[in-house]
Amino acid sequence: MLSTLLSAVAFGVVLASIIAIAAMGFTIQFGLTNVLNLSYGGVMTIGGYVAYLAVAHGISAWYGLVLGAAAGAVATLVIGHGLLRRFAARGTKVFEMMMVTLGLGLVIDYTLQAISHNNISQFTVLQSAPLHLGPVTLTPTQVIITAVGLAIFIGLEALLRLTRIGKALRAMASDPSLARACGIKTSRIVVFTWLLSGALCGLAGVVYIINAQSIGYTTGELFLPLVIAAAILGGAGSPSGAILAALLMGIVTQVFSAYGNASYSTAAGFGILVIVLLTRPSAVLSKGENEELALS
Amino acid sequence: MSAWSFYISTLVVYFGVDLLSGVALNLQYGYAGVVNLAFIVFQAFGAYIAAATTLGPDTGAGAFQKYIFGAHLPFPLPLILATLGGAALAGVVGLFSLRRMRRDYQGAILLIVSLIAAEIVTADVPMFNGSNGLTGVPKPLASLGLGLQAYQWSYAVWSLVIAFAVYAGVRWLSRSPWGAALRAMRDQEVAAGAIGLNITVLRMQAFVIGGAIGGLSGGLLVQYIGAWSPGAWGYAETFVIFTAMFVGGLGNYRGVALGILLVPIIFLEIPQFLPQIGYPGLIDSLEWILIGVLWMLSLYFRPQGLVPERKNIAVGSPLIPMGEGTRLASLAGGITGRAR
Repeated sequence: MLSTLLSAVAFGVVLASIIAIAAMGFTIQFGLTNVLNLSYGGVMTIGGYVAYLAVAHGISAWYGLVLGAAAGAVATLVIGHGLLRRFAARGTKVFEMMMVTLGLGLVIDYTLQAISHNNISQFTVLQSAPLHLGPVTLTPTQVIITAVGLAIFIGLEALLRLTRIGKALRAMASDPSLARACGIKTSRIVVFTWLLSGALCGLAGVVYIINAQSIGYTTGELFLPLVIAAAILGGAGSPSGAILAALLMGIVTQVFSAYGNASYSTAAGFGILVIVLLTRPSAVLSKGENEELALS
Repeated sequence: MSAWSFYISTLVVYFGVDLLSGVALNLQYGYAGVVNLAFIVFQAFGAYIAAATTLGPDTGAGAFQKYIFGAHLPFPLPLILATLGGAALAGVVGLFSLRRMRRDYQGAILLIVSLIAAEIVTADVPMFNGSNGLTGVPKPLASLGLGLQAYQWSYAVWSLVIAFAVYAGVRWLSRSPWGAALRAMRDQEVAAGAIGLNITVLRMQAFVIGGAIGGLSGGLLVQYIGAWSPGAWGYAETFVIFTAMFVGGLGNYRGVALGILLVPIIFLEIPQFLPQIGYPGLIDSLEWILIGVLWMLSLYFRPQGLVPERKNIAVGSPLIPMGEGTRLASLAGGITGRAR
């Protein structure tokens, strides 16, 4: 009984690492630009497909991670810098921008559907003997995924706290016009943020499909609920908040599917956000509606 | 019966169903400002309820499809239950999604509701038969023994009657003081609260009425097509109605009817007449891509739609002296105005 619980918690931590990689990318970009980017799920799937094609052509899964992250970064830069900036220049506001990214997500999803002929591809990578850690049995892949998640969190915190560009990023997230007045080249920070967020998004897509061992055009869209819920719950722009929220969601999701009905496991993770909305609505009121977009 | 007569009558039924959706979304989004990106879930719920309460009880382990709420109810009852079901579901979803929060958060949360609902219904087979869905829903009033052509056109007229009755009812509601209060809330929430409007209740009322219409539209649709599965209500279906609303014009019922005619009917039916290209299914994907592009283009070029909402501001009118009250009223989006 206890070992079931421990296993569920361990799987929860693995799932949390995947949610966290995606949610950190989402929240950094959201905290800085104030765009609630619903095309994020589509970009995750793009990253996943690039890695899948690479692996299918005999390239090592490790390069697949890098290629997926690069694809995500490029796609997100094109979306953010190429497209959303034009909308903002025409006076699109915070809420309308979310609607724009929603339409964009639709375009990405169905372009992938057209390219993939609506097939779900199965594959296996990095398979080797499972590891027994006490009562818990994990595959080496799962351990690697957790390690990648942890490494990214530490790297991101170090970037934000210790480097010049990280400090500039935090300054701009809290007050764009003051940051600009202080001589920070805000347009460069925005470009950097799109790249960073896109790379994490693509990476999360790759890690997700390696864990799920299948990919289809809705892969990212189906994972998006947990990512957005974790980002909203953790607070916009806070990687550590995203990590905590992701841990909570990952563990609740997996414990729920071990003891309850697995069909409802994603709903159980989302249920945490619902409970927070019902009991502490102020938790999601961190920023005002009339906040400006910061895209240049 | 000629193929054309069949085809046109089918389009008329679809127009009725989509017009119901458009009216419901326009009330929720155009008037109350609630971004219901989960609209299709309410339609789907209504459709499942109407299907299950027409099909009769699923007879245990041997049944070829499994579902809850199975019953053999006579004709109008399944539609009424579908309407009530949509309203009840809206009440539940509204409890957490209508909290005071940023509107982009609200949109994201309702989108998540739509994604998760589809995931649950697909995975939880005993509920509504999973991804295979429910099939063989009997046609209502088949006992009357109408011929195919007569039945088709009767159903088409029936769906138009329902759609225009609801259209007229909701337009009347929107022109009432209640509708003015909704617009006041949408444009200036704080000011509307300050003049004594109960924001939470207003928003919930609009959401539940919209959910009821959504349920009704689902019931009407499933009794016509006779089958319903998660493939029919992907999250993207909501966008068709939203795009129609953007194309036609927000907060404006004639505009919405025009948008419904242009987008889901004309625009999405044209491909039927084009030669097949690529593999089967490619045209479907391209249609969705075009819907997304159309959606973005309408946000880029005409965020207010083809037929914009008339501004109803009575400030400085010679009949109404310009006092603090009128200033507040005009801030609140034109308490004195009328909807078209």
